[in-house]
Amino acid sequence: MKHSVNRPPTPDGVVDQGKEPTLQEIINIKLIESGEKERLMELLRERLIECGWKDEMKALCRAYIKKKGRNNVTVDDLVHLITPKGRASIPDSIKAELLQRIRSFLVSTAL
Amino acid sequence: MSGPNEDNTQLSSHFLGDLLDSIIVDVASECHRIAKLGLDHNLEEEEKELRLSAQARARVADPSNSGETNNKYVVDIFGRTHPSVASEIFECMNCGKSIVAGRFAPHLENCMGKGRKARRKVTRSSTAAQNRYSRGSPVSTYSPYSNSTSTNRLSNGTPVGEEYSNGTYEEP
Repeated sequence: MKHSVNRPPTPDGVVDQGKEPTLQEIINIKLIESGEKERLMELLRERLIECGWKDEMKALCRAYIKKKGRNNVTVDDLVHLITPKGRASIPDSIKAELLQRIRSFLVSTAL
Repeated sequence: MSGPNEDNTQLSSHFLGDLLDSIIVDVASECHRIAKLGLDHNLEEEEKELRLSAQARARVADPSNSGETNNKYVVDIFGRTHPSVASEIFECMNCGKSIVAGRFAPHLENCMGKGRKARRKVTRSSTAAQNRYSRGSPVSTYSPYSNSTSTNRLSNGTPVGEEYSNGTYEEP
């Protein structure tokens, strides 16, 4: 018999105890399972490319890399570089469109 | 207690932020990859490399370098040395231009349609080949062989490929 058969039982309750999945988590799961999250991501990606946002972010990255030297840059550096500017420079129309779609999804899942 | 509408708005913003973060990470990772793999030709280093390779190419093409101050000092059994770049000039049999022998291979790439922007050169021989294989009837208005004088006649004066001028195919 394998030694693993006699191992102590898996401790349960440590993970689940008192932690109901939050509303956010439930919705996130619904978004993913229905495929809507993927669709929203593709829509957002497309809109951001169309309006030049992606090019702006890439230009920021390139300038930073040029300054620092391309062997001294990590993905983390770049993420921290473009996150604040990226979030701030998203055009209002795109923001509105995506928010509208997300809101309709929330309503349609009848929460 | 905030109303459901405000909850919805807050949740929507949260998810939008989530999506945006994922896209930002994608963009950052893509830029990082391009930088690390050296695929971005606008970085200053690349400019230096290009300048150096252009200099090297100029040195090779310089006629005063042909064989004398050469590092590859190759001597054949007759005691002759060879220039590093083949400098003979001859005529390309495809397009008829004068080509330096050392540049013949790259020239052929473009001339015969392998390289970029190279597909548009339609020469007499290619249309003639198309006509011969794809159409049954001879082309009446386009007669390349009957008009040319020097290139297509054999030594005894018989023209080659006479199917365009009178409708029959004559063996040379």
